[in-house]
Amino acid sequence: MLGRKHEGHIKVDVPPAMDANEAARIAYDQDISLSRHHFVEGEHPVVRIEHLMKTFDGHTQVLRDVNLNVWNGEIVVVLGPSGSGKSTMLRCINLLETPTAGHILIDDDEITGKSAKEVNFIRRDLGMVFQSFNLFPHLTALENVMIGQTKVLKKGKEEARAEAVKQLEAVGLGDRIDYKPPQLSGGQQQRVAIARAVAMHPKVLLFDEPTSALDPELVRDVLAVMRDLALNGDMTMIVVTHEMGFARDVGDRVVFMEGGVVVEQGLPEEVFDHPKNERTAQFLGSIK
Amino acid sequence: MGHTATGKRTAVAARIAALAVALMLLVPTSAFALTTNKATARPNEDGGSSVIGGLPTRLTWEGSVEDGEEVTEVTLTLPEGSSFDGSTTKVTVLEGLSRASIDSEVAASGSMLTVSFAEPATSGLLLRLEVEGMHFPDDGGDVVVSGTYVNQAGTQTLTDSKPIKTIANTSLQKMIASLDANPVVAAWNSNPFLGMFFKPQLLVTAFSTLVPGWLLCLVIVVVAYPFAIILGLIFALMKISKSRLLRAIAILYINILRGTPLFLQIYIMFFGLPMMNINIDNNVLGVIVIAINASAYLAEIFRAGIQSIPQGQYEAASSLGMSYFQTMFDIILPQTIRRVIPTVTSDFITSYKDTSLLSSVGVMELMMFAKNLTSVSGNMTPYVAAAIFYLIVTLPLIKAVGIVEERIANSERGGGPRPKDKGAKDMSVAEAEAKLSELAVHASALDDEHAFVPSLSPMNASFGTEV
Repeated sequence: MLGRKHEGHIKVDVPPAMDANEAARIAYDQDISLSRHHFVEGEHPVVRIEHLMKTFDGHTQVLRDVNLNVWNGEIVVVLGPSGSGKSTMLRCINLLETPTAGHILIDDDEITGKSAKEVNFIRRDLGMVFQSFNLFPHLTALENVMIGQTKVLKKGKEEARAEAVKQLEAVGLGDRIDYKPPQLSGGQQQRVAIARAVAMHPKVLLFDEPTSALDPELVRDVLAVMRDLALNGDMTMIVVTHEMGFARDVGDRVVFMEGGVVVEQGLPEEVFDHPKNERTAQFLGSIK
Repeated sequence: MGHTATGKRTAVAARIAALAVALMLLVPTSAFALTTNKATARPNEDGGSSVIGGLPTRLTWEGSVEDGEEVTEVTLTLPEGSSFDGSTTKVTVLEGLSRASIDSEVAASGSMLTVSFAEPATSGLLLRLEVEGMHFPDDGGDVVVSGTYVNQAGTQTLTDSKPIKTIANTSLQKMIASLDANPVVAAWNSNPFLGMFFKPQLLVTAFSTLVPGWLLCLVIVVVAYPFAIILGLIFALMKISKSRLLRAIAILYINILRGTPLFLQIYIMFFGLPMMNINIDNNVLGVIVIAINASAYLAEIFRAGIQSIPQGQYEAASSLGMSYFQTMFDIILPQTIRRVIPTVTSDFITSYKDTSLLSSVGVMELMMFAKNLTSVSGNMTPYVAAAIFYLIVTLPLIKAVGIVEERIANSERGGGPRPKDKGAKDMSVAEAEAKLSELAVHASALDDEHAFVPSLSPMNASFGTEV
């Protein structure tokens, strides 16, 4: 009762989640021309979002009807003006926001409407990199990367440490493992945050405007790390960003959101060079 | 029967007499005895009834002359370490209740005092020696007066007196004695203000007598505080919990305790519990009251501290899959504790001072001792001494709070010591400076990751800000 009081005003009527195989077939047919992803016959999307709605305070409808599939190993870049709901969508995927209605399925498993304990379990598979880094300031860079492994994955200290060192070296911070976050620059902090998320080996890595809080000269290093992660790994990434260069170069697919719905999606060069939607064109025009 | 016995006794007595005479010719014996009646000393403790070593007192020794004796000289031997001024020894010879006039001469040497009489003191007389300016050994203990006397048969041994119990002379006693004798102190005390609030003798006395009360204050607050912290944490977590019932309980607890005087809480506990036939030791009850009272304040401090941690910390922990308790105990509380250390210390200072209220219900803490000493001496100085005892603890803590606050602020800005750079250890100062200036040149051109110069590193502006 208590948790729902803000969400009661809207009449929500969403069909049940589709059958996994049918959904996969439809998604395959739809996305095969929209993404650089190398589709495999019979492949199922790792993330499936159906009719996702999110309303704040009972009347502010941020997500109206979001439908999106993300495939294993795909890099999806989500663009859109502020207030378009892209961050909210991302936060719904790892349940930092509770969806008002709709379905989110990870590997065909519904993750909405679960208990707190199940939610914690689901979140292991969904790494998140925040705009404001959100490193744990009382822990060193190394401990920041270790804590999820030891506390959540119950790995041994040595194993977690080795993994943490490996991931910190991968983001170019092998010489900063004993520094605490306040002693690191914003760019370094964000790279630690990426290492922290990657060290959990999640199925999907969510980036919520990871470079928006950074000075321009620090953005480059963070993007380099993300690019490295995208091109040299098989990580599935959903990236909410305003970095058009990154979207164009690294993205397998660009998704444009506006007013709480996905307005347009497609291959980066298609969306950037020949936007079909007027709002997309307008937005990209204003960005350029 | 009787006759035989008498005969036997006479025979035995004769034999003993013969033996005694024989012995007397060889060595002095105590066939006659100057009986030691008593040996006492006048109490010299300020406001007490004990005899303190090292401080002047008066030794009174009395002995009675036995039948047939003619005592010409008495020598009292005092334990090693005693001293006295022989000239102030008063010798009285009593015959019944009246004085007998026998001239005497007193000579002192070391710990021996010799009184020689101009004419022999004969049987039935009572000899009383009063030695003024007597100092017993500093260490205290049982003082036994022994000695010898001379009668017509020669030198005889005195029976030992019953021991006089003396207590050790502490340096405190000596200090007070010297203060008493000091004219500057006397002048100081003649000033009504100084004499009433800062009387040196009482300050010295108070410093020693208040110590148990001071220690009790410390014990009460030090024992109470861990409980207060645990209770405070529990109620803080209850107050921010999702359960309406837990929140209501916490709010009730915190508001009632914060909204009523500690004095009242003490009265309710100390007088209320015995009326319910619950009898708890005063000191323990003091700990309980202080712990409960402090817990309410700590609960609010912790709650505010927990809520000052940015939402992003919860989200980051959640995104790793950490549970509520893992998030609380591994992420939120460690940061909270750092932030609330100064406030908690301030609250500790308050609780420490609040123990003074326990004096109103008979807990023998600092105020109680000061109050007692003041009522005995009629002087305010013990309260001043008590104030000093409070300040001994509070002032360093107040200072520490300032230092910790500064350090926390500094480290949140990114200051504070860096971990040792493993590659650059044992660099000489010159090398380090050269490297630093080289780095400084590059730092603005390059990104800051490779050239880490603390003063040039961009301030971490975005940490802790929520967008």
